[in-house]
Amino acid sequence: MPESLQDEAKQSPYEKMLQDCLRGELRVVNTGLPQSQKRQSKENKLFYLLNEKYPHVVCNDGSTHLFKKSELEYLASMIDADEQKALPLPMLIELGANQSEAAIICEGNIEEKVISKALNMPVTCQEKRIRIYRPQLALLRRKFKTTTVYVFSPKIVA
Amino acid sequence: MPELIKVRPTKIELVKLKRRLSLAQRVQKIVKDRLSILTMEFLQTARDTVEAKRKLLDESSRLYKALSIAAGYHGYIAMEKELIATEADLKVTAGSRNIAGVRIPSFELIDNGKPMRGYNLVDTSSWLDRAAQLSEESLRAIVELAELQRNFELLAMEINRTKRITNALEYIVIPGLQVTIKYLNMKFEERDREEKARLKRVKVLVARG
Repeated sequence: MPESLQDEAKQSPYEKMLQDCLRGELRVVNTGLPQSQKRQSKENKLFYLLNEKYPHVVCNDGSTHLFKKSELEYLASMIDADEQKALPLPMLIELGANQSEAAIICEGNIEEKVISKALNMPVTCQEKRIRIYRPQLALLRRKFKTTTVYVFSPKIVA
Repeated sequence: MPELIKVRPTKIELVKLKRRLSLAQRVQKIVKDRLSILTMEFLQTARDTVEAKRKLLDESSRLYKALSIAAGYHGYIAMEKELIATEADLKVTAGSRNIAGVRIPSFELIDNGKPMRGYNLVDTSSWLDRAAQLSEESLRAIVELAELQRNFELLAMEINRTKRITNALEYIVIPGLQVTIKYLNMKFEERDREEKARLKRVKVLVARG
């Protein structure tokens, strides 16, 4: 009998149930992320999503994440057409080890522009991250409910 | 008092327990972070729900006022005759989105640019136009409230579930593992002391002999 199976056999049913719960928990937290190959493609850029009938991206678990047209139009009103072609959606909000902070993952300056306009304050991008505090995060999420997604970074568990 | 886990007092078991404790602590960190995000979203949804409900009530009361004025102006039967041909299908986009692992519905009323009014504009007054405009706004508020209400329920259920897991980790699993590790460490120290005493005794016996 393999060692791991022997271990599981020795566990009490309660402990085993907890282990299953935890395993599920880890799997569940990042299921809402868009598929990686899709993120690189141009179909998930704001400009192209605006022209779609049902703007959406496919998530890791195969489900779809629908964007609200009104939100996309609000985003589009902040930037010009060229920037719209370069803005990938959804924007990823990374939760790190520091519980009072969150970071928005950005690939260019467009995210910086959008976030600073939405929060009405200057923000800076350092190491491809825009760091904001929790109250600002709540404000941002209120404005961009469907165009932002949480990422539970592996750094949290490191 | 946390319960002691029944294990054989061996070094291998101690290493296994330490590994399990570090895993439990890492998972607790994730679950706690998730709980704080869910709570933040829940509070935001609660605030939005209250606002949407208030908005809907205001819109509805204004709509009923406008409708009664229009009915008084045209007469109930004449107005009903005009409105009977204006029925239009509502188009709502329904999808889902994910908040920290919770799938929640997302609704949006499709606005095709033209108002949902099919009545004769010549035979009707601006009172009816006002009532129609307010009814469109009410519909938008209803769809918004439907989404928020469902999100509110789903987030609350998930918070309950996550809280149970956090509590189980914080008060049962982690303390149990810590107590067992401490117990095993004490047992090994005791064994070392016994061993030392035995060696001393043997040394004395050898010296005498």
